[in-house]
Amino acid sequence: MSQKYYEFFCPVKVIAGKAALEHIPYELTGLAAKRPMIVTDKGVRAAGLLDPVIAACEESGLEIVSIYDDVPPDSSTSVVRDIAGIYRQEKCDAIIAVGGGSAIDTGKAVNILVSEGGDDIAKYSGAGILKHPLKPFFVVPTTAGTGSEVTAVAVITDEKKGVKLPFTSSFLLPNAAIIDPRMTLTLPPHITAATAMDAMTHATEAFTCMAKNPLSDAYATAAIKKISQSLLNVMDNPKDAQGRLELAQASTMAGIAFSNSMVGLVHSLGHATGAICHLPHGLCMSLYLPYVLEYNLESIREPLGELLLYLEGPEVYSATPAARRAEATISALRKLRDQLYKRCQLPRTLKETGKVQESQLDHIAEMALDDGSIMFNPKEVTLEDARSVLRRAWA
Amino acid sequence: MLLKRIQPMAFQARRLYVDIMFQVMGRALQAVSEVDETVQNEARALPQGLLFEMMVMPEGPRLIVEHIGDGHFHYHGQSAPRPVDLSIQFKHIAHAFLVLSFQEKTSEAFANDRMLVDGDVSYAVRMTRVLNRLETFILPKLIAKRAVKEYPANLHLPEKLISAARIYLKVATNFVETVRP
Repeated sequence: MSQKYYEFFCPVKVIAGKAALEHIPYELTGLAAKRPMIVTDKGVRAAGLLDPVIAACEESGLEIVSIYDDVPPDSSTSVVRDIAGIYRQEKCDAIIAVGGGSAIDTGKAVNILVSEGGDDIAKYSGAGILKHPLKPFFVVPTTAGTGSEVTAVAVITDEKKGVKLPFTSSFLLPNAAIIDPRMTLTLPPHITAATAMDAMTHATEAFTCMAKNPLSDAYATAAIKKISQSLLNVMDNPKDAQGRLELAQASTMAGIAFSNSMVGLVHSLGHATGAICHLPHGLCMSLYLPYVLEYNLESIREPLGELLLYLEGPEVYSATPAARRAEATISALRKLRDQLYKRCQLPRTLKETGKVQESQLDHIAEMALDDGSIMFNPKEVTLEDARSVLRRAWA
Repeated sequence: MLLKRIQPMAFQARRLYVDIMFQVMGRALQAVSEVDETVQNEARALPQGLLFEMMVMPEGPRLIVEHIGDGHFHYHGQSAPRPVDLSIQFKHIAHAFLVLSFQEKTSEAFANDRMLVDGDVSYAVRMTRVLNRLETFILPKLIAKRAVKEYPANLHLPEKLISAARIYLKVATNFVETVRP
């Protein structure tokens, strides 16, 4: 009997493409919601990204009752409590999170408080605490990378205790993710590159780590194909709405893939580097991806070789001997990183970031070893292994 | 018909096996923390007094150990003196049996959603490394290779045999002490 077993779950309605935002009123009405609140950050508002969302709702006679636009990059328990207070005061009945990872995580956490009651979000921290569906919750991503719109996780900082609180429940998943190319059209080049490489890493790790499964594989490969076909075009022509949509869809697909198959050492190192050196997550992903794939190579040779088809297309794939495809995949990713460096100086090594000291590598290695995602890395990682990957990524 | 008669006995035997394995593992965790420096270094990063539980949902067999400080564990048996801080929970006795009979690696069981972590995930990762280290000592290499993601290349036979003998001796002594009225 086969020992293979997997679980796959994604109940999020994906609403994607031209005029997708204009579907929000209809979808909210379908959930009997009439008084939505928008949760976002100042950057999103300043970029004018709320305007089409508000216009789409108002045109259908749906009033946005309240807008909270002060979500910080690392959202905290007090921010969540404040927003929940406004939601209750204004008698809202739905949340629309517009933004990147932080605004989306904040929206998820606020939804816990306004649905379950109370002011202390910390008591809902952990896995499987929530037992009931929450209030209607929509997500409009404004970056194409995190995949938070389809993940059942939120992380909020408890500023009093100085710790990050994880929340895990399938009830955190939004009712709908609205992918509209207008939302990512004005993303600056380096953020476009870093977030796309974040999605690329989600998909690559989903396809090569221990919890890979046939359904997440399908999403992962489709995401890799979309990113490799569209990313450089978008970098050269930022107003390419079709390319932007492809990247946004790829991000959501990669999110569906990794939330059902988890990620590995790239994320362990990336989380640690982000915490210690305050580097953006997407940049860390892009930076570590080839070095970790080289480290894992002998454990993932077969699936990694398959990815060449989605990265380079059928001609290159068929012209490459099967035994060389895994190495060719890593080369293709390195080539992509070189192209991004040429276009927006997205760093390829820790030294190129200018924000990491060589003396910090040991600390990064130690912290990475305690990261939850290391459990799903296909190859065992010791402290010395992590140090060695970091040394290779240094310069 | 025969299958219907045998099945309850098989289920009972499986539960008994998991129960006994938890008792052995709990005592062995205490023992390995007394003899192995690597385990002690791993455990030192855990808060003193941390109660770790491994159990089968909903109310199945369990083992509870406490980090009593300086990298040492104390086995509490099946009952905790206070609410546990970290719990690794098998969703079903069949899943615990797969892992404890070395048909599925601990890391595979996590990847296959057989178990849940309730508590700080970084401590769970650390405890998984401790469990892996324990298994590499107390199991023959052939079986240990099925239980852990990667058998450590630097663990040679003399060290393994000496450590295993010391762990088994401590486990046996602990069994005698706890069974004695």
